[in-house]
This record gives sequence, structure tokens and C-alpha cells, in this order.
Amino acid sequence: MRRINPIPLAAVGIIALLALLVPYLGLPDPVRIDVPNRLAGPSWQHLLGQDEVGRDILSRLLWGARSSLTVALLSATIACVIGTALGVMGGFLGGVVDLLTIRAADIVLCFPPLLLALLVVTLLGPGAATLIPVLALVYLPGFVRVAYAGVLSVRHQEYVEAQRALGVGKLRIMLRTVLPNIGGPVLVQFSLAMASAVVLESGLSFLGLGVVPPSPSWGLMIGAARSTMAQTPLPLLWPCLALTLTVLSMNALCDAVRAAVDPHGVPPRQRRWLLPALLPGLPFRAGASLAVRDLTVAIDTPAGAVRPVRSVSWSVAPGETLAIVGESGSGKSLTGLAVLGLLPLVARPEEGAVLFGERELLRMDEAALRRLRGAELAMIFQDPMSSLNPVHRIGTQIVEAIRAHRPLSRRSAWQEAVALLARVGIPDAARRARSFPHELSGGMRQRAMIAMAIANRPTLLIADEPTTALDVTIQAQVLELLAELKAENGMGLVFITHALPVVAEIADRVVVMYAGEVVEHGPVAEIFTRPLHPYTAALLRSAPPEDGSLPQAIPGTVPLPQHLPAGCAFAPRCVSRRDACEAAPPPLEQAAPGHDTRCIRWREWQRLPVTQGAEA
Amino acid sequence: MWVLRRIGVALVLVWIVASVVFLAIRLVPGDPAEIMLSQGGVSPDAAVVAELRDQLGLDRSIWDQYRANFQGLLSGDLGVSLTDQASVSGQVFARLPRTLELIAVAALVSVLTGIPLGLLAALRRGGWFDRLAMGLAGLSLSVPVFVVGTLLVLVFAQWLALLPAGGFTPFRTDPTRHVAQVLMPAITIASSLAPVLFGMTRAAVIDVITRDHVRTARAKGVAPAGVVLRHVLRNALIPVVTVLALHLGTLLGGTVLVEYVFNYPGLSGLLVDAVNARDYPMVQGVVLVISVLFVALNLTMDLVYGVLDPRVRRA
Amino acid sequence: MTALIEATNLSKQFGGRGLFGLGGKPVRALCEVSLSVARGEAVGLVGESGSGKSTMGRVLLGLTPASGGSVRLDGTVIANLKGEAARGLRRRMQLVFQDPYSSLDPRRRVSAQIADGLLAHGLATRAEIPGRVATLLDQVGLPKAHADRYPHEFSGGQRQRIGIARALAVGPDFLVADEPVSALDVSVQAQVLALLADLRARLGLAMLFISHDLPVVRSLCDRVVVLYLGRVMEEGPAAAVFERPRHPYTRALLSAAPNIDPLRRRRRILLRGDPPSPANPPSGCVFRTRCAWAVAACADAVPALDVAGPGHRVACIRVDDPELAPDTQPDGHQ
Repeated sequence: MRRINPIPLAAVGIIALLALLVPYLGLPDPVRIDVPNRLAGPSWQHLLGQDEVGRDILSRLLWGARSSLTVALLSATIACVIGTALGVMGGFLGGVVDLLTIRAADIVLCFPPLLLALLVVTLLGPGAATLIPVLALVYLPGFVRVAYAGVLSVRHQEYVEAQRALGVGKLRIMLRTVLPNIGGPVLVQFSLAMASAVVLESGLSFLGLGVVPPSPSWGLMIGAARSTMAQTPLPLLWPCLALTLTVLSMNALCDAVRAAVDPHGVPPRQRRWLLPALLPGLPFRAGASLAVRDLTVAIDTPAGAVRPVRSVSWSVAPGETLAIVGESGSGKSLTGLAVLGLLPLVARPEEGAVLFGERELLRMDEAALRRLRGAELAMIFQDPMSSLNPVHRIGTQIVEAIRAHRPLSRRSAWQEAVALLARVGIPDAARRARSFPHELSGGMRQRAMIAMAIANRPTLLIADEPTTALDVTIQAQVLELLAELKAENGMGLVFITHALPVVAEIADRVVVMYAGEVVEHGPVAEIFTRPLHPYTAALLRSAPPEDGSLPQAIPGTVPLPQHLPAGCAFAPRCVSRRDACEAAPPPLEQAAPGHDTRCIRWREWQRLPVTQGAEA
Repeated sequence: MWVLRRIGVALVLVWIVASVVFLAIRLVPGDPAEIMLSQGGVSPDAAVVAELRDQLGLDRSIWDQYRANFQGLLSGDLGVSLTDQASVSGQVFARLPRTLELIAVAALVSVLTGIPLGLLAALRRGGWFDRLAMGLAGLSLSVPVFVVGTLLVLVFAQWLALLPAGGFTPFRTDPTRHVAQVLMPAITIASSLAPVLFGMTRAAVIDVITRDHVRTARAKGVAPAGVVLRHVLRNALIPVVTVLALHLGTLLGGTVLVEYVFNYPGLSGLLVDAVNARDYPMVQGVVLVISVLFVALNLTMDLVYGVLDPRVRRA
Repeated sequence: MTALIEATNLSKQFGGRGLFGLGGKPVRALCEVSLSVARGEAVGLVGESGSGKSTMGRVLLGLTPASGGSVRLDGTVIANLKGEAARGLRRRMQLVFQDPYSSLDPRRRVSAQIADGLLAHGLATRAEIPGRVATLLDQVGLPKAHADRYPHEFSGGQRQRIGIARALAVGPDFLVADEPVSALDVSVQAQVLALLADLRARLGLAMLFISHDLPVVRSLCDRVVVLYLGRVMEEGPAAAVFERPRHPYTRALLSAAPNIDPLRRRRRILLRGDPPSPANPPSGCVFRTRCAWAVAACADAVPALDVAGPGHRVACIRVDDPELAPDTQPDGHQ
């Protein structure tokens, strides 16, 4: 848990302290009537003036705070303890306990809270002593629900299952693992209940159903001052102010607690669109349909900018398949997103250029880029479930892609969408177009994504791990489909993946990325048979071999972009490293036409027999 | 199937609520008839108590009472008020539309302000508009409704004399006055509801905007307005509607304070009077009607939810 | 070899008993699956999502109650044991999870999580715990100094090692590893596979290795069981199943896995469509709806697991048909 913002904490603290110390402040008796001085203005004896029967307003305010906070604290605590216990039991023990506690809470929740309070007050009669159980009852179901939901979400976590598998007892799991995990939400609920109880107490007292006169209470004070507010508004305004300030600081504390408990909520930086760097004057491969030149992506962090993608260059020709392969943290996905201007809010392209035909995409304004996206340049993503909007029909989402670029009527766009779904191999396309994403299987969803991407016959498709979430037999279908579509439309394909066998299967050329850099780049047949970088070689050896022997592991892990080594990024894990490797970052050198490597020892690897390649 | 199941559950809930209300009144210690008659601390005459017990049917067994009570309920008979012998259902249904009107106007005002402002604040997250709107919403949320109402009366009725301080005029008698009298209480209620919708919309939009499907929409080349309306706001409305439903439900009984401040003769005014007069049949009737409405509202919202989020229809 | 753990005709259904009978059709996750693992043996359980392979692991460990069939550990029936007897079992069988993130409690130190099992079974006193945790960390290749860190301070591969150390703490004979490497990067996958192979050799652990990744299974396992829609399609020695798969499903599965050698792009048997819903499986052979060799008779009866070689069994009525000889392709498939 992070630290709680101290300002609301201090405000609530001061109010609580005042309420605690009232008896020792030497204030006038809050119930002593002084009719001759009724509605008198502020004076030295009565700093805030006197009320409609001459009682001291300041004293009544502070005593009112005392009773209000006492009622709120006691009722919230009772509700919290009993409610959390019931919720945890219901959630963890299940069965009959679950039924009794949760259904009972549901029934109590059927009554609007104020109505519930009124009903109980009717039965038990008004008074502060009644208020506490009444309010506790009102807030009880909230705690039950919060605790129950928390337990349910924790109960099916694998680490709880692991403890069950270890034979750890239920009580121990509940105390050690479940309770700490629901502490945050319960704390938030507690501060909510406190603030709400202050409001409800004053409301009931205002109606004459809460604290009984002449005891001081903010609600009673406001109610009483109403009749004289036209002549002297001050006696009305003071309790209004006190009540508002108290609730305001309690609500602020509640937000602060929530912010401290909930790890989400750090606001991302505002997006900066254009980059100041100049267009690098490098010629790009003739006939390339897309060329990325020296692309660097930066993420601004409090500790300064980190660069998860550094000076990456590659290009794809029409009809060609380029694979970008790398492990997590290699920057392969960010590269793809940067091309289409779809980087997440925290990241921005810092340097380089992306040339699509004659156009430079990084400096293009959003409106022009939008006309390209989904038309000439399309992209599909890894998780077809989260990448499709769950609330719109598949057909509608394809129609949207069509109509974003072509002035078609809804009806003819729908017909086209159905035809596209049929083209990507979805059986019974006319009916499936009316399905929602959750009604399709993973493979069908990815087919629908592909249908959407090819809707406007793009010249280039960027596919970011499109088969990673799919089963092998379905992956084979999707790879087959992509190959067919490529052949049909002469479309270029950039295939981003972590799986070398998939690269071998579909790509013409491959870019190997490691820790944000291109380490090797060349034709698939060459790179898979004679890799010229130890990382590529090691990666090939870490895939399980055909003969059933164990794969060879690469020791260590990928460095984080904020902790890059001084020299070659792979040097710390490389068995072939020399001192020179750690001295300076090696440049990307051309070893053969169309084959680049970032290893200073590439000439040695080139002399090795085929299929051995660089040592690892 | 899904709809039928929800309706079934709702009916069971109404039955349970009615039973709880019935039992709560009967099972609390003390004789209801005696409590009703012992206003002012004087012990009531035994004969009068017996007469009231007979009238309320308290002398019969609890099971008989329960059955009679439910037979009455099924035929729409909620009993007779103890204070003026008027029919409870007549009273309740005369006042119900007024409360519903109040809530409807308040909800409309809240939806029309809270949701657009929440969307705008989220899209300009961290900017001056966002901070200003957040501050105002936080403040508005922290002032209890009866304080807002009282202050509105003080400013607009007493000092500026722009609007009537309260009361109620039927629309047919004087439409202008009717609207003027509904306006202030409705705005008072909206002052607590609108910031809730604002906050929920803002949070939901901020959440949805980072989801993958929004990126897909952008990758398709959909125009910004289309992305915001069809892919961000449309999805963000799902939790907002849930919150709206929850709060509308609370308002059914929660207008008590506002009706009291503005002297608005609605349903909850009836309830407060009945509570103060220990008019048990009336209390029972009002609570029951409100609970039924509350359950019905939740049911409607469940159905709306199913329209908004096709995924729940599977359940 | 005698079986350490032996499951006979194990079945598992989910749902179908909802309140007021409105719960919908039951989902059949496992249907009469028999499986045995000998001491020190590694058995691969292979299948796609929805095949019931994860359910199988949990039913074997008693984490999920079975709907039918029995499980024996060293000849003793262990299904539905309660109390102390059930807790004693926990010592002998352990589980390694797929997701290295959700399988560790983010709020507790690694040492405390590894010690859970030791304390639950009274295998160590509080004073002995630090030493035991250090030994366990060492065993899985992590520095002892990391014991007091929290899970978020570790990478995915290191977390998986912690999960393995936690399972090893109680000294089990049998380990169920449920997709233990599929959430990891390729280079780290190999590290964890090597660790599992090493532990198996050193500690003589028996292992049920659940995975959808066929090459990974082949590199680690002695025997393979292929599941489809909750039923065993084929089982046998790893070499036999991978070299000469007999069941059409196994053949399709193997040919679907891409080959790392770009010069050896394989001819594929492409399966049509998606697997049917486990709530509504086809009659007869559950694979027949996607099978290129299916004939009318496939719909009639559930095919029995017939012997097709030493220790090799196949559930297909056409297994001896010349059309299905190992080198043939179905018509119209490339």
C-alpha cells in the first residue's frame, strides 16, 4: 500500500481532535438557554453568536461534532467488523453460510438506506442510542458484499490454490492470505461508511428522528435555524459549514485511501504528437512498401526517459513477409505500434522516420494518418477477445472499418462485411456477422479481426503476435489464411512474434530484436542455417529440437531498458563475448548483401559450417 | 429465459421484503396497538386498545394475520390509515406520481450534466477543466441535500424571491407554478446525483480508453468522434448505468429530506408523518410500495444492462 | 515399473446442477480417462484448450473432486479422503502452476510462501525454516539472499523457480506441472525445462507434465497421453507417438506445429473448424467431426483404446486401415 495523502488525513484528524477535546475547552454549556439574548450576534463570550433560544453556537457545534462522530465511528465499526466477518465466511466457506449471509445482505440492500433507517426508528423510537444500531444495519450489507467479492476474487487465485495443494489449513489461509488481500477495499468501504453516517445522522436529526433535543446535533441546529433564517442567516450557516467541511474532508480522505490502496490511478503524461528530430537523409530500399529508419521510442519516467526501442531500421517490399522476432522486452510490439501512430499514451517516437511510399508517417498529422490506417496500412493484434469491442456485433465492427474509408451505404457495407467473413473462412457468415465477440471461439475472433483488417484491401498488414493466444491447430489455420490473403492481394506482411518456428514457417526475411535493438537482420534461410549473431544462435538452440533432446538455455534474463549494459546489450549473457564487446556498443554491420549483424565477431561465425553458426 | 429468471427473482424479493416488513412490525417487543395509543405518556384505556387490536386483527394468530395481509396485498388493498381512516392505497397512489416526477426531473438533470461533463473531464485528464470539474463535483457531493435545499430556499426564495420556497401545485391548475415548484427540489436532488454520475463517467472513460479495442478502432481509421462515442462512451456507460440505477433506487426513499425542506407533498412526506403518528398500516404500505418500485427499478436496469452489455445475456 | 499414481476411468463434469435446475447443460471435462505414472517417470499430457488436461491434473491431486472413477497412490485409493489423511497426501503430490504471476501471493515474502508447506506438515521448526528455505532456493538455482524479497522483484522465470521450490519443500514423490513454461520467453523456457529435468534425475520425481507444446513435451517426457474433448485419443512412448503417430488427431496436431527448420516446411493436415463444445460432444468418436478420415461407423460407438504397439494404444476404429498408414495424407489436404 502506498502512503495516504496527508492533507485530508490532517483535516479529519483536527476535526476528530476537536470533538475529543470539547469537554476540556472551557466552552459555555451547550444546552443552557438564554432567551433574552436569542439570535445575538458574535461576541467575546459567544464567538459564533447565540441560537434561537440563546444557546452558544460554537459550543453546540463542537458538541454536535462529538455526537456525530461518535455515532458514525461506532456504527461504521460495528458494521465493518460484523459485515467483513460475514462476507469472508460466506465467500470462503461457501455453501449454506454463503447463502445465508449473502442473500440476507441482498435483502437488506433492497431497502433504500434512509427508508430502512426510518423504518427501524419507527419501531425502536428516536435517539442517539437507536441511531448506532440503525446505521450499523444500513452499512452492514456494503461490508458483506465488499468482503465477499474480495474473497471470491482471491479464492480462485492460483496462490491460494497452491496453499491448498500444500495442505495449509483453511483458517490459516483465511488469516494469512485472504484477509490482507481484502484489507484495501474494506478500508475504503469503512471511510465511505463513516462519511455517509455523518450525513445520515444529521439528516435524521434534521427530521427530528435522530438525536433528541436539547442535545446538540448539526442536523437539529439546521432544522431549528430554518425558521429564523430570513432574519439572521448566521445560526443556519454555521452548522451547514461545519457539516460540509467535515463531510468534504472525510470524502477527501476516502479518495486518498482509495488512491493509496488501488495501484491504478497514476495519470499518464499528456501525449506529445510531433517530434523535433530531423528527417534522417538515408536512402531506403528501392521498391519498399514500408521502411522504418532509425526509429527510437522513448518513455518518460520520473527517473528520466527510457528508450525501449533504439535506432531500429527495416523495410518490407510489396508481397514480402518480414518477421520481427524477439522475447518480451525486446521492443518488437512497440515498433509495430509506432508505425501506425498507435503507441500507448506514455510512449512517444523520439527519433527516426517511417516511410510508407512517399509519405513519412511519424510527422504526419493525425487526420492524414487516420485516412491511411485501416485503409492502406492495417494491423491485427495478439488478443482477439480484448481487441474487439465486446458490445458491438462482429458485422457492425467490420462495417465501421469499411465506412471509415469508403462512402458506402450501411446495407452494402454489411453485405461486404458478410462476404469478408466468408472469405476468412467463417462458416455461416451471414448469421455469424450478427454475433457478439464473446459468442465466437478464439480462432473465429482472430479471423474476424483479419476480415476487419483486410476490409479495404491494404497494401501492408502488420500482425502483432496474431497466433500466440491460439491452439496449434487453429494457429495453423490462421497462418494458412494469412498466406492465402497475401498471395491473393499482393499484400506485404510484417509478422511480429516470439516464436521462431512460426517465423521459419511463414517469413521471407527476419529481423531479430534484443533489448530494443536489431541484432540481426536477413533472409530466413540464411539466418536459420548460419546465424551471424550469438543471440540468434542461442535462440535457435533454446527451441526444443526435433530429436527429443533437451533445448539449450540462455543463462540470465533480458536487461531492463533503464539498466542497459555499457557495451553490447547481449554481452552479459553471451558465451562468446570478448573484452571489446563490453567496451562499446557494437554497430550494425553488413555481413552480406541484405544480411546485417550487430556482433563484432561476425566474420568468425561466417567461416563456421552451415547449421552451426555463432557459438552460444 | 434470462428475462424470465430475473423477473422470477424480483418477485421472490418483493415477497421477502413484504414479509420482513410485516414481521418487523409484529415481532418488535410491545403491543403495537398500545404503543400507537400511548402518545404523550398516558396509559390508554384498555377497551380502546382492545378495539384497535380487533381493528388491526392483532388478536388473531400471526399466521392468520400474515395470510390476511397477503390476501389484501394481492388484491391491492393496503389497509386503512389509523389517523384519518383513509385508504392507504388511495393516499399512496395519490402521492406516488409526485415523487416519481421529482426523481425523474432530477435524474434527467443529472444525466444531462454529469455524463457529458465526465466525458469531457476524462478526455482532458489533468487539464484545468478536469481539475475544476473534479473540485466542484467533490464539493457538491459533500454538501448534504438538506443543506443544499435549505440554502437554495434562503437564496432564491428568501433573498432573491425568484422562486417559490416550496409547496406543490397540480400541473393542470397552474403549469408555470408547478414547474417552478418542482425545479428547486429537483436541482437539490441532482446536486448529489450529478457528481456521482460525473465521477463514474470520468473513471469509466479513463479505464475504457486504454483498452485494446479502442486501439483497434483507431487502427481501423475510425474518426475521433466515432472512437469516442461508439468505442469509449458506449462501453463506459455500462458501469455508469449501474450506478445510476443504484442511486435512483436510493432516491425512492431518499427524497424524504428534500420533500421535507420544500414542503413537497410526496410519498416520503407521507411516510415521515406516518412514522411520527405511529400509523403502522400507512408505514407498512409506503415502505412496501417503495420496495416494490425499488425491485422493479433494479429489474428494469438489469434488462437495460443486458442491452448495454451483450455479455451478461448469456448468464 | 509399478505405478506410483494410477487413475482409473476418471470422469469430471462441471455445472448442470444449478439452483432450480436452471444451470444449463453440464460440461464434460473428462470422460473415463485412465492414466498411470510410475516412480521417476515423466508423462506428458497433451491437448488443446478445452481438452480437459488441466482438470486432469487437479483431479489427480484431489484439488477438484472427481465425478467418477478412482485415483490410487501406491495402491491406496485416495479419492475423497478427508482430514489428516488428505493432508498427509499433500506431502506426496505437488503442483507447479502455469502463470508465474498469479501463483505467488504478491503481499508475502518468498521465504514465507516457501515455508507454508513445511509449517503445515510440521516438517521444520521455526528456527530451521531459514536454512531449509535457503537450501530449496539453492536447489532451484536462485541466490539464497533473495529469500526475503517479494515476488514482484523477480522475473517470470525466477518466479517459476520459486513456485517449484515451494512445491519441493514438502518433499513430494509426484509433481503435476501444469504448463509450467508456456508463459515464459523461449530462452527462459529452456532454463526451466532444464531445471525440471535435473530435479527429476536427482530426486527421482515422478511427473505429469501438462502442455499444449508438443516439442517441449517431447524433450522432457518418457510417455505421452493425447487428450481431445476429455477423452484419451492415443498414448504411448514419446518416441513412438512423435515418430509414428497413429491417431488422426495426433497426426494433425503434430503436423500443425510449425517446424523450426525453414528448409523442412512440412505438409500439413489442416483441421477444419473449431473443437465442438464440451457441453455438447459428438456421438461416437469425439474427433470425427474434424477428422479427414472419418467414416459413418465413427458416429456409432466410442472407440476403445486398442493396442497398436508396445505400450502404445490408440482409440480409432480405422487404426489398422491401409488408408491410414503412417505416410499417407487424407484426400484434398496438403
